[in-house]
Amino acid sequence: MSSRYRRPLAWAVALGLTWLVGYPLLLTLLEALGAPLDLTVDNFAAFAERGDEWQALWRSLWISAASVALAALVGVPLAFVFARLEFPGRRLLGGLIALPVALPPLVGVIAFLFLFGESGFLSRGVQAALGLETPPWRLQGAGAILLVHAYSMYVYFYLFVRAGLARLDGAMEEAAAILGAGRARTLFRVTLPLLLPALVGAALLTFMTSLASFSAPYIFGGGFRVMTTQIVASKLNGEIAMAQVETVTLALLAFAGLWAMRRVDPGRRVVVGGVRGAAPRRRVLKRPGARLAAAGLGWGLTFVMLLPHLTLLLISSVPPDTWTVETLPPVLDGGNYAVLAASPERLRPVLNSLWMAAVATAGAVALGLMAADLSVKLRGRLGTALETLLAVPWAVPGTVFAIALATAFSVRAPLAGRFVLVGTAWILPLAYLVRSLPLTGRSALAGLRQLDPAMAEAAASLGAGGWRTLWQVRLPLLRPALLAGAGLAFITALGDFVTSIVLYTYDTRPISIEILSSLRLQDTGVAAVYGVLLMVLSAAAFLPRSGEEAI
Amino acid sequence: MPSFLEIDRLSKSFGEHRVLDRVSLEVAAGEVLVLLGPSGSGKTTLLRLLAGFESADEGALRVAGDEISGLPPSRRGFGMVFQHYALFPHLSVGENVAFGLESRGGGEARASRIAEVLAMVDLEGFERRRVHELSGGQQQRVALARALAPGPKLLLLDEPLSNLDPSLRERTRSELRRALARVSMTAVWVTHEQDEAFAVGDRVALLNGGRLEQLGPPEELYLEPCTRFVAGFLGRASSLVGVLNENGEFEIGDARFAGHGARWPASAAEQLAPGTRVEAVFRPEGLQLADPDEEENVLTGKVTSRRYAGEATFYEVEMGVGGRLLVAAGSTAAKTGDRVAVAPRHGGPLPRLFSEAAE
Repeated sequence: MSSRYRRPLAWAVALGLTWLVGYPLLLTLLEALGAPLDLTVDNFAAFAERGDEWQALWRSLWISAASVALAALVGVPLAFVFARLEFPGRRLLGGLIALPVALPPLVGVIAFLFLFGESGFLSRGVQAALGLETPPWRLQGAGAILLVHAYSMYVYFYLFVRAGLARLDGAMEEAAAILGAGRARTLFRVTLPLLLPALVGAALLTFMTSLASFSAPYIFGGGFRVMTTQIVASKLNGEIAMAQVETVTLALLAFAGLWAMRRVDPGRRVVVGGVRGAAPRRRVLKRPGARLAAAGLGWGLTFVMLLPHLTLLLISSVPPDTWTVETLPPVLDGGNYAVLAASPERLRPVLNSLWMAAVATAGAVALGLMAADLSVKLRGRLGTALETLLAVPWAVPGTVFAIALATAFSVRAPLAGRFVLVGTAWILPLAYLVRSLPLTGRSALAGLRQLDPAMAEAAASLGAGGWRTLWQVRLPLLRPALLAGAGLAFITALGDFVTSIVLYTYDTRPISIEILSSLRLQDTGVAAVYGVLLMVLSAAAFLPRSGEEAI
Repeated sequence: MPSFLEIDRLSKSFGEHRVLDRVSLEVAAGEVLVLLGPSGSGKTTLLRLLAGFESADEGALRVAGDEISGLPPSRRGFGMVFQHYALFPHLSVGENVAFGLESRGGGEARASRIAEVLAMVDLEGFERRRVHELSGGQQQRVALARALAPGPKLLLLDEPLSNLDPSLRERTRSELRRALARVSMTAVWVTHEQDEAFAVGDRVALLNGGRLEQLGPPEELYLEPCTRFVAGFLGRASSLVGVLNENGEFEIGDARFAGHGARWPASAAEQLAPGTRVEAVFRPEGLQLADPDEEENVLTGKVTSRRYAGEATFYEVEMGVGGRLLVAAGSTAAKTGDRVAVAPRHGGPLPRLFSEAAE
């Protein structure tokens, strides 16, 4: 595009993004303050007077902090094992063990239900082994939520720390060793401080994800309410104003978390010099005992991490009403899959999810690429504003966005940029699009920043115009980055539960909502089939990428 | 000189690839030994074995008579300057230097030792600076100060100058060498640059393909190379192939080469039997250009290229007997296309004879 139109176009894109991202949040804040009739803090005062609101707030915070600690406890040692030791199967397992991150949250939760729940495999097994009358535990409350969080979020620590270790100059640890430092001192004084950016990044991501987590508290929480489930409960009870106040509170909490973590982000302080050596070679375990132990640990852990996936597969093959008191299901067949394939009514959510995710992804890629490109070219304040607008939905919990969109688009006021979209087929694709923007925008930004400007200049020097340069040079070079972003955006939209539960209509109900209603109808087999479907599609979008990293 | 460090038939393989093959050498106390060789020659592996980052498959390492192979790097008491310096970016200059002084206790003594070594590398008062605020040359000096601070028994240097601008390299090299001399540090210095090796090394060990080709002072390696590889790797060299006749003279075309005192003296790296095919390696400064009609016992040829290099001009001469020679001469000695004779330059390096099979 010509540089003459660049600035007006950037303003247009910024305006569009503000309308999608900032405006709904602002409207929610205003309505929580009593607008348009009034301007008052009465709603907030009502919020502050209720003990259960404070309790939910406190629970959200401590659950998030505990999730960070647990995820680090699992993910960091795993990263060291896979980055530093060489044992049979390391490459394959190193990729597989990152799979839980690709599991849509609701699918992970129902897999846990089938595995650890009262009538899950494990509880039945333990009950049978010990000869108990009742199930040995109930999968409920804070413990259950933390279990699911640790399981699905250790991957952030694992991936970040592995990447950090791969970038770490091996000479750093050698320098420490030759200066007389033993293993422990090298680890605590050199390796971990150098990994601090990775650790802080993973902690930030875990904290924010946990704060926004909805599926686990919704399914396992019972009376244990956190902010996200509190918001949805208020909305379902018709306490719209209260839901809006809670939404504003949770959004502020998320922004505060983001701001705090940004402040301590040591990435800016530690600039590693221009030249670096290579990462240390992996230690090849020579003693057969050690090799066997490492391989056993690796395989064992991977098996544990993949147990929920396997459980889903198994449950999806149990015909209805055949599994009652036995420890293991007596009959397995593909009947549930056949039921789904034969019933248009049950295929409907799958088609819904597919088209809505596709539309949202296409829109998010186009908008993300355009905004990222303008942001890189313009720099300055407008460029920063575009980049910030792209990133904001990442910090904002899905529940918050769902309420904000429901607030903004349930009123017809075209002059104020408000239309009635709630209750139509367009609200969910729009919600998915906004939620996917940080994913597509960030990968487009990363791709554009790695793009050598000399490429476009070379094309121009050879006589190619702006469009030809775009189609034949820049887009092909950006393709890996765009595909990666699109893949993530697609699986996020496909498996979305948190915004869907607030905004869906019966005709556009997505897979996640259908999973929930199947569970309510005790139709576990069909629910598992939907879960398997999401799992396979997500893994397909995720695995090729993790394979590259796992070298 | 009594040897301080003994490397005794050290071997190391990575998988099937033998990167170090029974290398033995000794380093005297206070000596700077340079490990020189092309990439893949095993010089870096040898240094890493000394540091303890790798363990040898066979052979022994002794310091002052004590076997150290079993000791981890942290207990060898060596210092090391890394190629990319490996300064800890999260620590200040002072904290970097202090890292190896942990066992010395804290307080005054430590602070004064830090100041002392920083002064030694001309970085007084840099304690609180961040590593990334320093220039490449300053980082290099901090790396040296950090390595010297604990008073190591032996200093290992892994291509310490390779990350500096060429303009800075020569000055830093002599500063570094002086700093080592001042504390009589025993050092093993790895480089792939001949200039650097000759400038800093009391002795140079030339490695190739995991084997020690030759060990000695720089002049010895340059003037009396033991192998064809050493002759070719160091300095500029060109060669001709001929036969050794019954008189023990190397004969090529009309020219005869014999031992010291002859019209065209030569030296041999090994005992050569008459009838052997022999390769004679010439240094450009051991040759001169002459009038093709006047001299006897000369080789004639045609100048195919001329390259002016400031301190000398190099002429490539295509010889009538086959092959090419590189001759250093004045800048107006000949033009491209001239017919010239090539004669020995008296006082210059002698041609070195190797049996052709040896290569």
